[in-house]
Amino acid sequence: MSFDLQKILAGKRALRRDLAQRGIVEKLQMLDALRERALMLNAAGSGVSNSLELRETPTPYRAGGKSTLS
Amino acid sequence: MNIVEVITLINRMQADGVIERYGIGGAVGATFHLEPVATLDVDIFVAFRREAGSLLVSPQPIFDYLTARGGRLEGEYVVIAGWPVQFLPPTGPLVEEALAEAVTILVGDTPARVFTAEHLAAIALQVGRAKDKARLLQFIEAGRLDSARFQAILIRHGLTAAWQKFEQQFLRDAP
Repeated sequence: MSFDLQKILAGKRALRRDLAQRGIVEKLQMLDALRERALMLNAAGSGVSNSLELRETPTPYRAGGKSTLS
Repeated sequence: MNIVEVITLINRMQADGVIERYGIGGAVGATFHLEPVATLDVDIFVAFRREAGSLLVSPQPIFDYLTARGGRLEGEYVVIAGWPVQFLPPTGPLVEEALAEAVTILVGDTPARVFTAEHLAAIALQVGRAKDKARLLQFIEAGRLDSARFQAILIRHGLTAAWQKFEQQFLRDAP
Protein backbone atom coordinates (compact mmCIF):
# COMPACT_ATOMS: atom_id res chain seq x y z
CA MET A 1 0.00 0.00 0.00
CA SER A 2 1.35 3.38 -0.98
CA PHE A 3 0.00 6.89 -1.12
CA ASP A 4 2.39 7.83 -3.91
CA LEU A 5 0.03 9.17 -6.60
CA GLN A 6 2.35 8.19 -9.45
CA LYS A 7 2.47 4.60 -8.19
CA ILE A 8 -1.30 4.54 -7.77
CA LEU A 9 -1.82 5.79 -11.36
CA ALA A 10 0.74 3.30 -12.68
CA GLY A 11 -1.10 0.53 -10.83
CA LYS A 12 -4.41 1.61 -12.37
CA ARG A 13 -2.88 1.64 -15.85
CA ALA A 14 -1.47 -1.84 -15.29
CA LEU A 15 -4.86 -3.15 -14.14
CA ARG A 16 -6.56 -1.66 -17.21
CA ARG A 17 -3.94 -3.24 -19.49
CA ASP A 18 -4.47 -6.58 -17.78
CA LEU A 19 -8.25 -6.33 -18.19
CA ALA A 20 -7.94 -5.29 -21.84
CA GLN A 21 -5.80 -8.33 -22.61
CA ARG A 22 -8.29 -10.82 -21.22
CA GLY A 23 -10.36 -12.90 -23.60
CA ILE A 24 -13.49 -11.36 -25.07
CA VAL A 25 -15.74 -14.03 -23.51
CA GLU A 26 -14.50 -13.07 -20.05
CA LYS A 27 -14.79 -9.34 -20.80
CA LEU A 28 -18.39 -9.69 -21.98
CA GLN A 29 -19.19 -11.73 -18.86
CA MET A 30 -17.85 -8.77 -16.87
CA LEU A 31 -20.27 -6.46 -18.72
CA ASP A 32 -23.13 -8.83 -17.85
CA ALA A 33 -22.09 -8.77 -14.19
CA LEU A 34 -21.70 -4.97 -14.16
CA ARG A 35 -25.20 -4.50 -15.58
CA GLU A 36 -26.69 -6.98 -13.11
CA ARG A 37 -25.02 -5.11 -10.28
CA ALA A 38 -26.29 -1.76 -11.56
CA LEU A 39 -29.85 -3.13 -11.74
CA MET A 40 -29.60 -4.53 -8.20
CA LEU A 41 -28.32 -1.23 -6.85
CA ASN A 42 -31.06 0.64 -8.66
CA ALA A 43 -33.73 -1.73 -7.34
CA ALA A 44 -32.37 -1.39 -3.81
CA GLY A 45 -32.55 2.39 -4.06
CA SER A 46 -35.91 2.79 -5.77
CA GLY A 47 -37.68 -0.49 -5.15
CA VAL A 48 -38.08 -0.89 -8.91
CA SER A 49 -36.21 -3.49 -10.93
CA ASN A 50 -37.42 -2.59 -14.42
CA SER A 51 -34.65 -3.35 -16.89
CA LEU A 52 -35.08 0.06 -18.47
CA GLU A 53 -35.06 2.01 -15.24
CA LEU A 54 -31.36 2.17 -15.89
CA ARG A 55 -30.45 3.24 -19.36
CA GLU A 56 -28.24 5.76 -20.98
CA THR A 57 -29.15 8.86 -22.90
CA PRO A 58 -28.94 7.73 -26.54
CA THR A 59 -25.68 8.72 -28.17
CA PRO A 60 -26.23 11.65 -30.54
CA TYR A 61 -24.50 10.04 -33.54
CA ARG A 62 -24.08 12.68 -36.16
CA ALA A 63 -25.03 13.01 -39.78
CA GLY A 64 -22.27 15.24 -41.12
CA GLY A 65 -21.59 18.06 -38.72
CA LYS A 66 -24.94 18.12 -36.94
CA SER A 67 -26.35 16.01 -34.18
CA THR A 68 -29.11 13.67 -35.29
CA LEU A 69 -30.94 14.23 -32.05
CA SER A 70 -32.41 17.45 -30.90
CA MET B 1 -28.37 -11.59 -18.51
CA ASN B 2 -26.10 -12.73 -21.33
CA ILE B 3 -24.77 -10.51 -24.05
CA VAL B 4 -23.60 -13.48 -26.14
CA GLU B 5 -27.27 -14.47 -26.51
CA VAL B 6 -27.91 -11.03 -27.98
CA ILE B 7 -25.13 -11.51 -30.54
CA THR B 8 -26.33 -15.03 -31.38
CA LEU B 9 -29.88 -13.82 -32.05
CA ILE B 10 -28.66 -10.94 -34.23
CA ASN B 11 -26.51 -13.35 -36.25
CA ARG B 12 -29.57 -15.52 -36.78
CA MET B 13 -31.61 -12.47 -37.82
CA GLN B 14 -28.95 -11.61 -40.38
CA ALA B 15 -28.83 -15.20 -41.68
CA ASP B 16 -32.63 -15.11 -42.02
CA GLY B 17 -32.34 -12.01 -44.21
CA VAL B 18 -34.04 -9.50 -41.93
CA ILE B 19 -30.99 -7.21 -41.96
CA GLU B 20 -28.23 -6.95 -44.51
CA ARG B 21 -25.39 -6.46 -42.07
CA TYR B 22 -24.73 -5.16 -38.60
CA GLY B 23 -21.92 -3.74 -36.50
CA ILE B 24 -21.61 -3.48 -32.75
CA GLY B 25 -20.68 0.04 -31.67
CA GLY B 26 -20.78 2.00 -28.42
CA ALA B 27 -19.34 0.74 -25.18
CA VAL B 28 -19.88 -2.92 -26.03
CA GLY B 29 -17.98 -2.44 -29.29
CA ALA B 30 -15.21 -0.69 -27.37
CA THR B 31 -14.99 -3.63 -24.95
CA PHE B 32 -13.81 -5.83 -27.82
CA HIS B 33 -10.72 -3.60 -28.07
CA LEU B 34 -10.24 -2.24 -24.55
CA GLU B 35 -10.87 -3.20 -20.94
CA PRO B 36 -14.58 -3.78 -20.19
CA VAL B 37 -16.44 -0.48 -20.61
CA ALA B 38 -19.44 -0.46 -18.28
CA THR B 39 -22.68 0.25 -20.09
CA LEU B 40 -26.40 -0.13 -19.65
CA ASP B 41 -27.37 -0.90 -23.22
CA VAL B 42 -26.12 -2.29 -26.52
CA ASP B 43 -25.83 -0.19 -29.68
CA ILE B 44 -26.24 -2.23 -32.85
CA PHE B 45 -25.91 -0.44 -36.16
CA VAL B 46 -27.76 -2.12 -38.98
CA ALA B 47 -28.22 -1.73 -42.67
CA PHE B 48 -32.01 -1.90 -42.89
CA ARG B 49 -33.68 -3.71 -45.75
CA ARG B 50 -36.17 -1.59 -47.67
CA GLU B 51 -39.66 -2.99 -47.70
CA ALA B 52 -41.02 -3.60 -51.18
CA GLY B 53 -42.81 -0.54 -52.53
CA SER B 54 -41.57 1.70 -49.73
CA LEU B 55 -39.14 4.57 -49.99
CA LEU B 56 -38.64 4.55 -46.24
CA VAL B 57 -36.54 2.14 -44.30
CA SER B 58 -38.29 0.69 -41.30
CA PRO B 59 -37.06 -1.14 -38.21
CA GLN B 60 -40.43 -2.90 -37.96
CA PRO B 61 -39.23 -6.22 -39.47
CA ILE B 62 -36.48 -6.27 -36.82
CA PHE B 63 -38.96 -5.67 -34.02
CA ASP B 64 -41.34 -8.31 -35.42
CA TYR B 65 -38.55 -10.87 -35.75
CA LEU B 66 -37.19 -10.32 -32.27
CA THR B 67 -40.49 -10.14 -30.42
CA ALA B 68 -41.46 -13.44 -32.05
CA ARG B 69 -38.33 -14.89 -30.45
CA GLY B 70 -38.75 -13.64 -26.92
CA GLY B 71 -37.60 -10.03 -27.29
CA ARG B 72 -39.66 -7.34 -25.56
CA LEU B 73 -40.20 -3.84 -26.90
CA GLU B 74 -39.61 -1.10 -24.37
CA GLY B 75 -39.50 2.40 -25.82
CA GLU B 76 -36.85 2.56 -28.49
CA TYR B 77 -35.20 -0.60 -27.16
CA VAL B 78 -35.71 -4.29 -27.67
CA VAL B 79 -34.86 -6.15 -24.48
CA ILE B 80 -33.03 -9.38 -25.35
CA ALA B 81 -31.55 -11.71 -22.73
CA GLY B 82 -31.91 -8.94 -20.15
CA TRP B 83 -30.10 -6.32 -22.25
CA PRO B 84 -31.80 -3.27 -23.76
CA VAL B 85 -30.64 -3.27 -27.38
CA GLN B 86 -30.97 -0.23 -29.61
CA PHE B 87 -30.92 -0.68 -33.37
CA LEU B 88 -29.55 2.33 -35.19
CA PRO B 89 -29.32 3.16 -38.86
CA PRO B 90 -26.04 4.59 -40.08
CA THR B 91 -26.45 8.28 -39.38
CA GLY B 92 -23.80 9.61 -41.71
CA PRO B 93 -20.82 8.70 -43.89
CA LEU B 94 -18.52 7.90 -40.96
CA VAL B 95 -20.92 5.39 -39.41
CA GLU B 96 -21.75 3.99 -42.86
CA GLU B 97 -18.04 3.35 -43.41
CA ALA B 98 -17.70 1.86 -39.91
CA LEU B 99 -20.54 -0.53 -40.69
CA ALA B 100 -19.07 -1.50 -44.07
CA GLU B 101 -15.61 -2.11 -42.58
CA ALA B 102 -16.68 -3.82 -39.33
CA VAL B 103 -14.54 -6.83 -38.48
CA THR B 104 -15.56 -10.31 -37.36
CA ILE B 105 -14.33 -11.28 -33.89
CA LEU B 106 -15.09 -14.68 -32.42
CA VAL B 107 -16.74 -14.79 -29.00
CA GLY B 108 -16.07 -18.43 -28.24
CA ASP B 109 -17.73 -20.06 -31.25
CA THR B 110 -19.99 -17.09 -31.96
CA PRO B 111 -18.90 -14.60 -34.62
CA ALA B 112 -19.57 -10.96 -33.82
CA ARG B 113 -19.36 -8.05 -36.26
CA VAL B 114 -17.69 -5.17 -34.46
CA PHE B 115 -16.60 -1.68 -35.46
CA THR B 116 -12.82 -1.30 -35.71
CA ALA B 117 -10.98 0.51 -32.94
CA GLU B 118 -10.14 3.34 -35.36
CA HIS B 119 -13.77 3.85 -36.35
CA LEU B 120 -14.98 3.72 -32.74
CA ALA B 121 -12.35 6.33 -31.83
CA ALA B 122 -13.30 8.57 -34.77
CA ILE B 123 -17.00 8.30 -33.89
CA ALA B 124 -16.18 9.21 -30.28
CA LEU B 125 -14.32 12.28 -31.55
CA GLN B 126 -17.22 13.24 -33.78
CA VAL B 127 -19.87 12.80 -31.08
CA GLY B 128 -17.69 14.73 -28.68
CA ARG B 129 -19.40 14.43 -25.30
CA ALA B 130 -17.19 14.22 -22.21
CA LYS B 131 -17.58 10.44 -21.98
CA ASP B 132 -16.76 10.07 -25.67
CA LYS B 133 -13.56 12.06 -25.20
CA ALA B 134 -12.71 9.82 -22.24
CA ARG B 135 -13.21 6.77 -24.45
CA LEU B 136 -11.00 8.25 -27.15
CA LEU B 137 -8.30 8.75 -24.53
CA GLN B 138 -8.71 5.11 -23.50
CA PHE B 139 -8.04 4.00 -27.08
CA ILE B 140 -4.97 6.21 -27.28
CA GLU B 141 -3.54 5.22 -23.90
CA ALA B 142 -4.11 1.55 -24.66
CA GLY B 143 -2.17 1.93 -27.92
CA ARG B 144 -5.03 0.28 -29.81
CA LEU B 145 -5.12 2.69 -32.75
CA ASP B 146 -3.29 2.21 -36.03
CA SER B 147 -2.19 5.80 -36.44
CA ALA B 148 -2.11 5.85 -40.26
CA ARG B 149 -5.52 4.25 -40.50
CA PHE B 150 -6.99 6.57 -37.85
CA GLN B 151 -5.57 9.70 -39.50
CA ALA B 152 -6.93 8.60 -42.88
CA ILE B 153 -10.41 8.25 -41.36
CA LEU B 154 -10.14 11.70 -39.77
CA ILE B 155 -9.17 13.27 -43.11
CA ARG B 156 -11.89 11.44 -45.07
CA HIS B 157 -14.58 12.60 -42.66
CA GLY B 158 -13.49 16.17 -42.01
CA LEU B 159 -12.42 15.58 -38.43
CA THR B 160 -8.89 16.95 -38.61
CA ALA B 161 -9.73 20.23 -36.89
CA ALA B 162 -11.61 18.41 -34.13
CA TRP B 163 -8.61 16.11 -33.67
CA GLN B 164 -6.20 19.04 -33.44
CA LYS B 165 -8.40 20.63 -30.81
CA PHE B 166 -8.58 17.34 -28.90
CA GLU B 167 -4.79 16.96 -29.09
CA GLN B 168 -4.34 20.51 -27.83
CA GLN B 169 -6.75 19.93 -24.99
CA PHE B 170 -5.71 16.48 -23.81
CA LEU B 171 -2.47 15.26 -25.35
CA ARG B 172 -0.12 18.21 -24.98
CA ASP B 173 1.65 19.11 -21.78
CA ALA B 174 0.33 22.28 -20.18
CA PRO B 175 2.45 25.34 -21.10
